[in-house]
Amino acid sequence: MNSKYTRVAVGLVVLAIAVVLLVVLSSGGSSDSTTKGITTITIKNGKPVGGIAHLTYNEGEQVRFKVDSDVSDEVHMHGYDIMKDVKAGGSVSFDFPATIEGVFEAELEGRKEQILELTVNP
Amino acid sequence: MTLAFLLPLAHALVSRRDLPIPAWLFAWGASIVLIVSFFALSVAWRSPRFERDRWRPLGAALSRALLGYPVQVLCGAIGVFLLGFSIYAGLHGTEAPDRNFALTFLFVTCWLGFPLFSVVLGDVFRPFNPWRAIGRTVGGAFAAIAGQRFAHLPYPRRLGRWPAAIGLLAFVWLEVVYGVSGGVSVGVTPNTAATAALLYTVYTLAMMALFGVEEWCGTGEVFSVYFGMLSQLGVFSVEDGRFGRRMPLAASTHWATVPGSLAVVIASIASTSFDGAQEGAFKGAISRTFDWFSEAGLSLTASLRLTDTIFLLLCFGGVALIYLIGVRGMASVSGGPPLSKLRTGFAHTLIPIAFAYLVAHYFSLFVFQEQAQFTYLLSDPLGTATTDIFGTAGAGIDYKVLSANAIWYVQVAALVIGHVAGLTLAHDRATAYWGDYRQAARSQYWMLAVMVSFTCFGLYLLSVGNA
Repeated sequence: MNSKYTRVAVGLVVLAIAVVLLVVLSSGGSSDSTTKGITTITIKNGKPVGGIAHLTYNEGEQVRFKVDSDVSDEVHMHGYDIMKDVKAGGSVSFDFPATIEGVFEAELEGRKEQILELTVNP
Repeated sequence: MTLAFLLPLAHALVSRRDLPIPAWLFAWGASIVLIVSFFALSVAWRSPRFERDRWRPLGAALSRALLGYPVQVLCGAIGVFLLGFSIYAGLHGTEAPDRNFALTFLFVTCWLGFPLFSVVLGDVFRPFNPWRAIGRTVGGAFAAIAGQRFAHLPYPRRLGRWPAAIGLLAFVWLEVVYGVSGGVSVGVTPNTAATAALLYTVYTLAMMALFGVEEWCGTGEVFSVYFGMLSQLGVFSVEDGRFGRRMPLAASTHWATVPGSLAVVIASIASTSFDGAQEGAFKGAISRTFDWFSEAGLSLTASLRLTDTIFLLLCFGGVALIYLIGVRGMASVSGGPPLSKLRTGFAHTLIPIAFAYLVAHYFSLFVFQEQAQFTYLLSDPLGTATTDIFGTAGAGIDYKVLSANAIWYVQVAALVIGHVAGLTLAHDRATAYWGDYRQAARSQYWMLAVMVSFTCFGLYLLSVGNA
C-alpha cells in the first residue's frame, strides 16, 4: 500500500470515528430518564394543551396518566388497545403495566387527534 | 401552521413504531462496519470469482415439476385472483386502512414479502405476476384464433429499465406522499390503492400489447423488474426453462447491463431512505419547508405533497450523487475502463444495500402486519364486521412476538451484511476491470467510501427513529 492511500485510509477511519463520537455524545443520556408520577393531559377545544404529551417508561413499570377533556370523545391507547370514553368536562385515568416495547400513540378516536406519544424502552 | 404529526402508511396500519437504535448499538454497528471493511481490503482475492461463476442446473424432474404448464396456469390464476380480489376489497370494503384486506395485501404482503422470498427462493413473482398471466393468455388466444402471433413494436433499447425506475418512484410516491388530509399525511386509502391498481393494470396490459409480454416484464413492468433485481442476490434461478443454482450474489453481476438499471437500484435505496427519514432525520426540514409553502399561499394538502415530493427526489439525487462521486474517483485510477462503463459496471453492487435498507426499515412492520393478514384480514377482508370466514376476525396483533432488542439486532445485522455483500461484489468487479490487482485494490478505496457512507447513513436513520 503506498503512503498516499494509507493517508486516505487513515483519514477515513478518523472521520468515521469522529462521526460516531459526535452522535454518541449528542444523543447520550436521554434513554434512562423515565416519567414519574401521574401526568395530566388537558384537552381544550379537542386539542392537547401544550402539544402532544411525551411519556417514557422502562418495560415493566406502571404507565399512569389522566386525561381532562372539554369535549366528549373516546381515548384510544394504541398498541395496548385500551379504550376509555370521556365526557365533556370530565376526566379519565389510565393505569396499566408497560408490557410492550416500542413507540405508541394515544388518540381522541373520534377526532383522530393524537394527544400522547408513549415510549416503552426495554 | 406547524406540522402536527406525520402519519405515513406504516402508521396507518400498525399502531406501534420501532424504538430508535440506542447510541451504543449505533457505535458498535459503525465500528464493525469499518473494521470489516479494512479487513476486506487486506484479504482481497486477485481474480474475479463471482463474475465467472457458472449457473448449474438442478435435477430435470424438479424443473418439470416446478416449471411445468399446470404450475404456470395455477400460479397465474392465483395471481390474477388475488389482484382482482384486492381491487374489489379496496373499492367495496371499509375505508379504515388497517381493516381493509387490500392495503395490507398490496403494500405489506406483496411489496415487502416478494423481496424476501425473491432473495431466498429466486424470482417467485414471475409465475404469480397477474399482468404477465393475463398478457400470455390473451396473446395465446390471439395466436390460436388468428393463426399467427401478434406483431409487437420493437422496444427502444435506449429506454431500457427507465420506465421501471420512474414507475418505482411513482409507486412509492403513491404509498408515502399522496395520502394527505388537511395538511397531515394519512397514508393512501384502500379506495385510492384499488383505483391505482386498476389504472396500473390498464397501463401494463397496453404496454404488453405494444412491446410484448416478456419484453415489458424485463424492462418496464415495475414489480417484475424490482423483485427480479432482488432475486439476483440469491442462489436459485431459471435459465432456458430449467431450474438451477449459482453462488450467492453471482447472478447480479450480469443484471445491470440494461440501460436504466442503475436508476432502479438508486430509486429503491432513495425511497426507503425517504420513508425512514421523514419522521426522523428530515422531520425538522420537512416541517420548515411545509410552513414555507403554506405561508406562500399553497393549500395544506398541496404544501405537504410538494414538500414530500421534493424530499423524495432529493433522496434520489443524494444517493445518485454519492455513487457517482465514487465512480468518478475510481475513474482516476489508471488502467481501468472509461467512466461510462464504470457507472453501469458497479450498479449491481448497490443491490445488497437496497435489500439491507428494506429489511432494516420494514422487518418489524412485516412481522406484525402479517399477523393481521392471516387472521382478521383473511376472515373479514372487507372490514365490514359481517363476515368471519375462518373464525379469526376477532384476532389482534401480538406486539410481544418481537422485543425491541431483537428488532435492533436484525436491523444492524442487515445493514452490516448488506455492506459486506456490496463490498464483495465491488471488489470482484474491480479485479475484472483492472488487470493489475494493485490498481484494482486502489480503485476500491472509492467504493469503500461509498459503501461506508450508505451503511452509516442507514444506521443514522435507525438511530434517529423510523416509522
